[in-house]
Amino acid sequence: MLVLALRSVRQRPGRLLATLLSAFLGAAIIMTFNSLHDTAGQPGVDSVSAETLTTSASVVGGYGTLLVFFAVASTLTVNVRQRSAELELLRCSGATPAQIKRMVVGEAVVVALAGAALAIGPAMLGGHALLGVFQDSGQVADSVDYAFGPVALVSGVDITLVAAAGAAFLAVRRATRPAVRRGRARTFLAYGALVAGAVSVTTTFAFSATDAALMAAPAYGAILLSVGLAMLAPRLLNGLLAGLSLTGASGWLAVRTLRRRVEHVSGILMSLVLFTAVSTATLTMQSVESDAVAASGLRKSVDAKNLETLNLTVVGIIAVFVCVMLVNSLYAATTYRGGEFGRQRLAGATPGQVLGTVGVETAVLTAVGVLLGSVAALAGIVPFTMVRTDGVLPGQAPGIWLAVSSVAAAVTLGTSLGTARRALRTPAVAAVATVA
Amino acid sequence: MFRTGSRGTHDTGPAAEALRLVKVTKTYGGGDSEVTALDGITLSLSRGSFTAVMGPSGSGKSTLLQCAAGLDRPDSGIVVVDGAEMTGSGEAELTRFRRSRVGFVFQQYNLLDTLTVVQNTVLPLKLAGRRVDRRRAREILTAVGLGDRLGHRPDQLSGGQRQRVAIARALVTEPRVIFADEPTGALDSRSAREVLRLLQEAVRVHGRTVVMVTHDPVAASYADSVLFLADGRLAGHLHAPTADAVAERLAHLGDDVPAGV
Repeated sequence: MLVLALRSVRQRPGRLLATLLSAFLGAAIIMTFNSLHDTAGQPGVDSVSAETLTTSASVVGGYGTLLVFFAVASTLTVNVRQRSAELELLRCSGATPAQIKRMVVGEAVVVALAGAALAIGPAMLGGHALLGVFQDSGQVADSVDYAFGPVALVSGVDITLVAAAGAAFLAVRRATRPAVRRGRARTFLAYGALVAGAVSVTTTFAFSATDAALMAAPAYGAILLSVGLAMLAPRLLNGLLAGLSLTGASGWLAVRTLRRRVEHVSGILMSLVLFTAVSTATLTMQSVESDAVAASGLRKSVDAKNLETLNLTVVGIIAVFVCVMLVNSLYAATTYRGGEFGRQRLAGATPGQVLGTVGVETAVLTAVGVLLGSVAALAGIVPFTMVRTDGVLPGQAPGIWLAVSSVAAAVTLGTSLGTARRALRTPAVAAVATVA
Repeated sequence: MFRTGSRGTHDTGPAAEALRLVKVTKTYGGGDSEVTALDGITLSLSRGSFTAVMGPSGSGKSTLLQCAAGLDRPDSGIVVVDGAEMTGSGEAELTRFRRSRVGFVFQQYNLLDTLTVVQNTVLPLKLAGRRVDRRRAREILTAVGLGDRLGHRPDQLSGGQRQRVAIARALVTEPRVIFADEPTGALDSRSAREVLRLLQEAVRVHGRTVVMVTHDPVAASYADSVLFLADGRLAGHLHAPTADAVAERLAHLGDDVPAGV
């Protein structure tokens, strides 16, 4: 079956590109941050430099890892689901569920390994640049040399592999056993993430205002909460759709289509919720932190400015990563719908109506995703602000939230409409025929 | 001009003409690999006729159907449906042209999996912004034998049932012409018979015009007449066909002197 997996990878490199891209980006991010551990672990590095490096590797690398894990997993889930027809065909030609599982998981492992291998070079460059930023800000001694070692390599490869193989395993199990409803495990995981997130957010209060790692607890908490909420999102979406009635052909079709596709869009919702939560939470916390430093008047110097730049760089990398994952999974999901669009067109939908339907669907998704992400972000921001300053909600929060939501809406709508537009270039009759 | 009419209605005015093609040509590819799918097809089908289009693979019968139905634009020539000439090249224009005039039945049904039987049936009306008469939709679905399957989804239905939904969907907009592309190609013989009877009914009871592409002589025998196509040209026609006569004609299609072209 592994031979079949390899052959299957070779036969359709294009369709696996989305998975490869997410594995590559995920591994690159993890390796970049974890190589700071390797750098700090070298003999001859002074303790201050080592501590700075280890702290940022643990804080940012830690929640970065969590993010990468869920982002890779959700992209892979989208991809495996698209192949249900192919898997069904394999099953009909005599493949046992175990064989199919081995093929899909084997394929995911091959792609994840390729992605991780490709990521080593860029991660080295990225880590080098990151160390440079630390050194420019004076937090790390200039004498420290960059090192890319076992911690970066092992963590990068392992996490990408586990995320890819785990997601493929779960997705293929769902695909090969359509009758089994596995709501309970999902609910359990979702509530687990919510509880863990709540605990993490609450521990913020155990830190003092000037602790270097103060931001870690609420940031972890916000991400865990967003994961939990994202897992429950399909249910919420279901509830919303049951009561939602839109007029116009596009609205009517969009609501009815979404009701049946809730399971399919859960991966996209996950990316959307994560993006909103992570970007809003970390950017707001950073801006609160910067203001607090400025207000204390202690180090209103070049150093403080540099530190802010450094933190924003790190947050930016993570936000861009999640954004790319969102585009990636949306693109994969929309490309796959060419056949469905073809059937709509043959039933009398103009290209404009098809795009209108996609637009309405995406708008509903964006609204739900941004709402849940905002709730998770708020749960992280409020405790942090309370500990760091005297206030509850920082004044910059609405502005940052608005900016993040606008980016989320623009990216989501832009990707799905752009991809749908491209899918519409294929004549309807051909679109219906080609997608099996 | 090659004319075919089930009831010899050649001389009645253009209003009685449901479909007319004049010198329609269509080529695919370019250079050495250029394939002429339609080579100056001219034909006319009167209202209320049931015509089967037959020919070997690659004879251009699917292209003919797509050009006549407004799913594809011919390179040259004129297509007139129900007295209105098909103009405009944009998909949106063609879609609007098709909506009230043309209905489809495909081999692969092409129903939307996300919609129920009733929702699939009324979808063309919704998309056209026309009033949705649910009672009428239910009547039509009951007439095709799906009165007890209204809330089901396509994946809960057999192939024959899905094709009957597709027929109901094609009937609900009351189009002048219904185009059927191998409608029985994926069905067992019993379901196929039911589907063919429904298409016959659409002609005899509802007064629609049906054009059906098929490779099956038995399916073709349900039509009033059969048009034969070879190498993108009309290669004869058969009135009141029987399965045996159609099969015989198909087997000797290459020997035929093209009649009336």
